[in-house]
This record gives sequence, structure tokens and C-alpha cells, in this order.
Amino acid sequence: MSSVWLPCGDYHQDYAEDQGWWQTRFIKGKMILLLLAVFVGIPLFAGEYWMSVGTMVGYTAMGALGVQLLIGYSGLLTLGHAAFIAVGAYTSTMLILQFPWPQSLLDSGLAYPISIVVAGIVAGLWSVLFGLPSVKVKGFYLILTTMAAQFITVDFILTQYISQIGGRGQAFSLPPGTIKIGPWVVDNERSVYYLMAILLTLMVIVLANLLRSKPGRAWVAIRDNDIAAETLGINIVWYKLLAFFVAGFMAGIAGAFWVCNTAALSPEHFQWFLSLWLVGVILIGGVGSIQGAIFGSIFMVVVMELLQMVALPVAEYFPSILMDFAYIKDMAFGLAICAFLIYEPNGLAYRWWQAKNYFNLWPFSY
Amino acid sequence: MELFLMTLTTGVMVGGIYALVALGWVLIYKCSGVLNLAMGELTIIGAYVSYTFHSVGIPFVPAVLLTLMVGIVLGILTERIFLDKLIGEPILAVIMVTVGLSFFLKGLVGYIWQNDTRVFTPPVFSIKPISVGFLQISPVYLWSFILSIVLLIIFVCFFKYTRWGLSMQATADDETAALSLGVSARFVYAAAWAIAFMSAGVGGALLGNINGINVSVGYLGLLVLPAVVLGGLNSVPGAIVGGILIGLLQNFSGTYLDQYFPGGVKEIVPFAFMAVFLLFKPYGLWGWERIERV
Repeated sequence: MSSVWLPCGDYHQDYAEDQGWWQTRFIKGKMILLLLAVFVGIPLFAGEYWMSVGTMVGYTAMGALGVQLLIGYSGLLTLGHAAFIAVGAYTSTMLILQFPWPQSLLDSGLAYPISIVVAGIVAGLWSVLFGLPSVKVKGFYLILTTMAAQFITVDFILTQYISQIGGRGQAFSLPPGTIKIGPWVVDNERSVYYLMAILLTLMVIVLANLLRSKPGRAWVAIRDNDIAAETLGINIVWYKLLAFFVAGFMAGIAGAFWVCNTAALSPEHFQWFLSLWLVGVILIGGVGSIQGAIFGSIFMVVVMELLQMVALPVAEYFPSILMDFAYIKDMAFGLAICAFLIYEPNGLAYRWWQAKNYFNLWPFSY
Repeated sequence: MELFLMTLTTGVMVGGIYALVALGWVLIYKCSGVLNLAMGELTIIGAYVSYTFHSVGIPFVPAVLLTLMVGIVLGILTERIFLDKLIGEPILAVIMVTVGLSFFLKGLVGYIWQNDTRVFTPPVFSIKPISVGFLQISPVYLWSFILSIVLLIIFVCFFKYTRWGLSMQATADDETAALSLGVSARFVYAAAWAIAFMSAGVGGALLGNINGINVSVGYLGLLVLPAVVLGGLNSVPGAIVGGILIGLLQNFSGTYLDQYFPGGVKEIVPFAFMAVFLLFKPYGLWGWERIERV
């Protein structure tokens, strides 16, 4: 199961070792370097612009992790994940704006952290509600029920009712300084980036731990063959709903995080497009791996930024391109998904795995 | 009572258009096993293409026929470029290619037609309602319904009595057996996509006549998905009944529920109903119940 190459003569003695976090010193060093790069390197060397791109990547990855858990690990096809992100974002915002917080909590800056957790739980429960049909249906039918979640939640409940609270019409905005964690006010690119990095790291750790323990094995068994999994004594109803809860929880946290990036909120951020986009991200990154979700997010966000960079100089000669850029972006994204599925169905994570294997043996090919 | 009957007739007539588009969807699924999520975009392309023909002065019926031609070409191209290579791949890959396709087509439509709301000028159908008994029916609905019923009958006859239609049926039934009898599967897949583009195109042209053409036509095209699920994914009569049921559901909820839940309850109810319906009948009304073995 583990695809780790051990140094010659080094064997795993028991199961716990086989599942360990740090299997070799090289891996440990690599991960520490990665964390250093994310927490120190990028903030030190990247400008405001690339830091905001990093935030975007992180937000996409947070959403994509939940989709990866549902599609890649549990085999539950979903096309409505944006609904749960939206539920998280709205829960957090409504809590901050409307809830009568005791002054002591506000002063100590606990309102936003509490709202993040509540947003996760509410989004998780909402996700379980729409995951209920998964007990009976699967495949394409499940896609349709999750689509129903999307349209009911975002296009109906949030747009028609929640957005009307306070009579402001469409968008909510958060006054500056409301979003703070303890004494730390999250208000500029740098602090948003750090919050993203912390949340994303926590999520990856939690998800990786879940996946290498009992629930993870149950999910993979259900994905591979749910009837066989049931005969093995796995409670598939419970584990399917658990998968929906965890994915919804992560989506809720992603949504609550998104609030502090934009400081404004409207249903337009959570259209069906976002759900499809997230599924596209994991397809391009690679289905069934955590790295895949992150590679996919990096690829998609960075490619779109590069497209924009190319479009700007070209637009000097063809001004119409700038106007049509949104459409060109759609076309590029659609073609990217199709091309990856046709020519590279295992995604970027597979290429990464191949490269790793190659260099493990390099320069001796056997 | 009059309101009830009005809603009933409008629902059935709009449902006829949905049934036409749903038929195209079911054909693709039956023949090649592709679950097509790009149906909304197919519909909107049909609407804009027929609008373009109409706006250069071609009368409506020839414009629709030209749209059918364009649909054949686009369908064969789509199948050849995107879906031909995916035969035998896992279901998720095939579904997601159609999602990619829908993004591509959406971008393309936006690029060409800018997503503005367009209205057929001069109006194709007169605004003056026709009285049938004590019912007032707007001609748009009536003619749309008649046209879609005619096309439905043509499609069903094609499927039942012509050589090509029979070979499509054979492929849908058992691909290996059909291949051994000399049916070209690639031809059948291309034909299924061509028919889907054609039916969606006519559906789009008709829907565009009702409310004008904009992005919402694509949303109406998406309503085909609850329709086919209600009928069962692989049943042609199911698609027709499902389409009409969705039309009825949409119009009745628009008439009777809108006062209790203001806002777009009309657009949501088909999806909500379908989600609940699947809890009780997971394979729709006439879908094949798949018996799974380990």
C-alpha cells in the first residue's frame, strides 16, 4: 500500500511503522522544507500579488480536499460542493454580523474563530442532509441529488431569503477589523495568506490521518465495491454520511475563510461553476490522492493567472480580448479538463509519483 | 378552476419541449452509455443558431431545419473530437468530459453571441391568444407543442423503422452482439450525438421563442436531467413522460407555491422533487434496475 521507497536493507517491522508519518529521514526533511517554504519562503520573497494568488490556491485546495474525499476516496460523485462552501461562508458572516456576542468575547477576538468552527459544523450537517440519498442511489443519480443541493441552497435559500436579511439586497460586507483571531487582526494580504496556510495545513493533516485510519480504509472499501464492503461488516450508511460530514465540514471552513479574503459576500461567488471547477481541479490533479487536490489547485489557479498575463499584452492589439476574457477562460478550462481526461487520465499526481520513482533509482535504472 | 386548466395546458405544452430534449439525452445514454451534463449548453447553442438564421431573414421553419443541419455537424464533430477516445473509460471520466465540454461550449457561446438577451424579431408567433373552448392558449405554446410532438414522432419512427435507427437500437441493447452483426458502433455513437444536438437545438429554438434567448435557456435545458431521472435513464417513453411531468410540476409550483415561497420556486421544485423522489424509487419510473453482484 505504501509507495515509499525504503533504503536498502530497511524493512518495516509492524503495521504501525508501515503507516507512519515519517518513514525515512529524507521524507521528514522534505516535508519540513515544504512547510518552511510555505510559511517563511513565500511570504518573504513573493510580492502582494503572488501572495494573493497563493491565497486563491489555498482556498481552491480547501474546497478540493473535500471533493477529493467524496469522489476520490469514497466514490460518491458530487457536483454541489459550492453549496456547502456557501453555507459555511454565510454561517460565519451571519454569526459575526448578527449574533449578540458578549463584549468579552469580542474583545478577546474569539468571535471569528468560534464562527469558523460553527460554520464547519453547520455546513457538515447540511451536507449530510443532502448526502442522505447516497444511501440508496449512486453514480449519476447521486450527481443529480448533489446538483439539487446546489440549486436549492445557493440559488433559492441563500439568494432569495438569507441575502434579504437586513434589507441590503445582494451582498453582505464585513466592516474592517471585525475579523480577528485573538489579538491578530486579519486584514491584509499577508495575514490572509498566513491564515490560509495554517488552515490548509491543519486540514491536510486531519484528512491524511483520517485516511490512514479506520474511516479511511472503510471509505476506500466502499469506493471499490460497496456491496463487498458491506459484507465485510462495514456500516456503509454511517461511513458514507461521515464522508459527507467531513467533506462538508472542510467546505464550511473554506467558506468561513473566504469571508476574510473578500470581506464581502454574495451568492455569485458560489454558483454551480465553482462546484464544477472543484471537480475539474481534482481530475486534473489526480483522483484519489491528497497531493492531487493541491497540485490541481496550483495548476488551475496559476494557469489562469498566466493566461491573464498573456491576455494583457495581447489586448493592446486586440482590445476585444479583454472583454471576452471570461469566455476564453471558460473555454480554456473546459478544454483542459477534456485534454487531461483523454490524454492524462491519472492526473498530475501520477506524473509526480513517476518522477519520484525515477529519481529514487537515479542514476541506476534498476 | 380556469387557472388550474390554464396551468395544466401550459405545463403539458412546455413539457413537450422538455420531452423532445430529454429524448436526445436518453438516446446518447442508451447507445453509448454517456451521461451528458452539457445538455443546457446544447440547448442554448440551438437557440442562438436558430436566432442567427432567423435574424438574417430566413423564416422560422427553414431556420429550424438549418439548425438541425448545424446540429448534425456539431454532434458528429463533438463525438469524434471528445468522446470517441473515451469508450470503455470509467463513468466519472465520461461524465466529466461532458462537463468540460459544457464549459467549452458555454465559453464559445459567450464569445460568439456575448450572452445578451435576444428576442426573435419579428415575432415568430402572434401574441394574440387562441381560444379553445373557454381556455386561452398563447400560440407560442401551442405551436411549440405541436412542433415538438411532430419531431418526437419522427424520432421515434426513425428509431423503430429505419435501418440506422434499428442499428442504434441494437447497439443500445447489446454492443458486442451488434458489433458482431456488422453494425458500426462509431457510426451509431456519432448518430446519437447528432440526434441529441438536433433535438436540443429545436428545443432551444422553441424555448427561446417563449421568453427570449439568454443564459436562462441553458438552465431550462438543464431541467432535462430531472426529467430523464424521473422517467428512468434508459427509457424513451420514460423520457417523454418525465419531460411532461417536469413541465407540469414547474408550472403548477409557479402558479400555486409562488405566493408562499416568493422568488424562484419554479426553478427549484423540479430538482427538489427529484431528490426526494430518488429516495423512494432509485431507478426512476421505468429505468433498468441494475442487480449488482460482488
